[in-house]
Amino acid sequence: MSFLDSYIHYIACFALVFIGLYVVLVKSNLIKVIIGISLIDTGVNLFLISVGYIHAGTAPIFSEAAQRPQQMVDPVPQALVLTAIVIGVSVLALALSIAIRLYGHYGTLDLRKIKELRW
Amino acid sequence: MVSPILLIAVPLALAFITPLLAFVSKKLAGYVPVVAMAFNLALAAHLLPEAIAKPIIVRTAGLAPPFSIHLVAGPLGIVLSMLIALVGLLVAIYALGYIHQGPVVKYHTLYLLLLTAATGIVLTGDLFNLFVFFEILCISSYALVGYRGDRASVEAAAKYIIQGAIGSSLILVGIGFIYGLFGTLSMADIARNITTVSPMNVFISMAFLITGFGVEGAIFPLNAWLPDAHSSAPSSISAILSGIAIKMGIYAMARVLFTIYGAESIMLFVAVLGLLTLLIGEACAFSQTNIKRLLAYSSIGQVGLIVFAFGMASVIGIEAALFLIISHALAKAILFMSTGYMIERTGSMEISALQGIGRSMPLSALFFTIGAFSLVGLPPFVGFPSKFMVIRAALENADMVFSILIGVALLGTVIEGAYFFRIVQALFFKEPADNPASTEPTNPNGSKGQGAPVSALIPIGILVALIVVLGIWPQIVSEVLRPAATELLNRVEYIRSVLG
Repeated sequence: MSFLDSYIHYIACFALVFIGLYVVLVKSNLIKVIIGISLIDTGVNLFLISVGYIHAGTAPIFSEAAQRPQQMVDPVPQALVLTAIVIGVSVLALALSIAIRLYGHYGTLDLRKIKELRW
Repeated sequence: MVSPILLIAVPLALAFITPLLAFVSKKLAGYVPVVAMAFNLALAAHLLPEAIAKPIIVRTAGLAPPFSIHLVAGPLGIVLSMLIALVGLLVAIYALGYIHQGPVVKYHTLYLLLLTAATGIVLTGDLFNLFVFFEILCISSYALVGYRGDRASVEAAAKYIIQGAIGSSLILVGIGFIYGLFGTLSMADIARNITTVSPMNVFISMAFLITGFGVEGAIFPLNAWLPDAHSSAPSSISAILSGIAIKMGIYAMARVLFTIYGAESIMLFVAVLGLLTLLIGEACAFSQTNIKRLLAYSSIGQVGLIVFAFGMASVIGIEAALFLIISHALAKAILFMSTGYMIERTGSMEISALQGIGRSMPLSALFFTIGAFSLVGLPPFVGFPSKFMVIRAALENADMVFSILIGVALLGTVIEGAYFFRIVQALFFKEPADNPASTEPTNPNGSKGQGAPVSALIPIGILVALIVVLGIWPQIVSEVLRPAATELLNRVEYIRSVLG
């Protein structure tokens, strides 16, 4: 198996993380920034899944006597990702509700106009 | 034997009972955090002697530690959960009168969740569980920062949530790396196997974890959110955010660095980072005219000093860092709580508007002064022995470079003294400002010239008494801190006590 074959999912999920970071850092619309955060979340979740992934593996359930544990996908990262997805959704929901409040106060979602540049 | 898991389970359950109780009576909701934290304080005090003798390991799913989530209630965890319960209890009593408008029930629920999460962070022995509690802490503090819902607080919450969410993602990446390398999430199990993989792989995961925790801990390049968040939250929340929440970032960092990685070689870098945080925080605080932003920047400075003390990586250095955590939590709670009513009475956060308030609100101003003096490090308050211990640790350190660094750190303390004395002078010795904006009454149930209510003065008074008592007899704390510091530094003992 070539290098690309065995590492393609890691490359893909870090590409997602970096795209997300780029969006957060460069875009000035708050909704786009929140989308960027969501992209980072997705990338991280994919990374966690690929850590435990085995090519052509099966679910970790002993339904037949012939199944060996070496052929099974690690279930722990999947449990972690379930938790991480829930956390990500709640952060996203809170961020969007804050965005609505912010729009109510400023009438714009442009971060350059909202920021009062206090340091 | 009472299980330490109740320290987390009881407040968590009560947090979600709060909205139900509010159906019966809205007044009742405010007392739930008081009850929960009083319970936690009593339980933690009860468990302390046992935990000092031997860390209590709690299994959750009936499996022995490397598998399933487990709690490690060592001396460090119990001492910090006592601190959380104590500060949480007093701030909850203060909030009974202080929080009277807005979604009050939600405030108490979120407040209790925040403290539950903080307790969970200090007690857990599982890396992913640490992350989950960390997220509960962060999400409830995002919501509480935006509690008022006005322009400034919503903007601060937006800033905080964007930076916090990225920080959390970085923590998760770090955890992913660690799981990929070791196939386990138990901190003791990871620590046992850390030398079996190449240092480069270990370093990558460490960089991700430190950066992620550093966002919540407000380490120098990652602290842009803090001044806004702390200054626009209600004062009771600022007290908790400053006293407890940012310390949890520091605790998580210290736990990861010392227990998991045993990273001695990186500690000088950490100390320098702490020093930078200290100087920048104090320098920014010096130029502030808004009292809450000033206190927020001073928190950054204090965090820097704590990180610097951790960076010494000796038993006495860590002991000093833990002592600073305690003294700063007590002093900052006093400062934020006493400014809370001053701001409410004058309707302004500008220091110029608070001039001469020592005449109309003598007790609040006196308590503020004591808190400020303790933070600067004047005897007989608790700030003095804690700062003294940092200096002693630096001079006793084998590495000569710390003797130079502590000199720079003391410069930060001098700046701190300068701005706190300036405020104290303004509070007591300057004529009240006669601008019309500050005289208009801002709240219906109290006009200018009236002191803070008794329900606010009692918790602040208790904290002041504690600060003086601990300042005169610091050995009460330092005797407990010695085993706590040893727990953090002695990895072998930690691994053995968890894995058996």
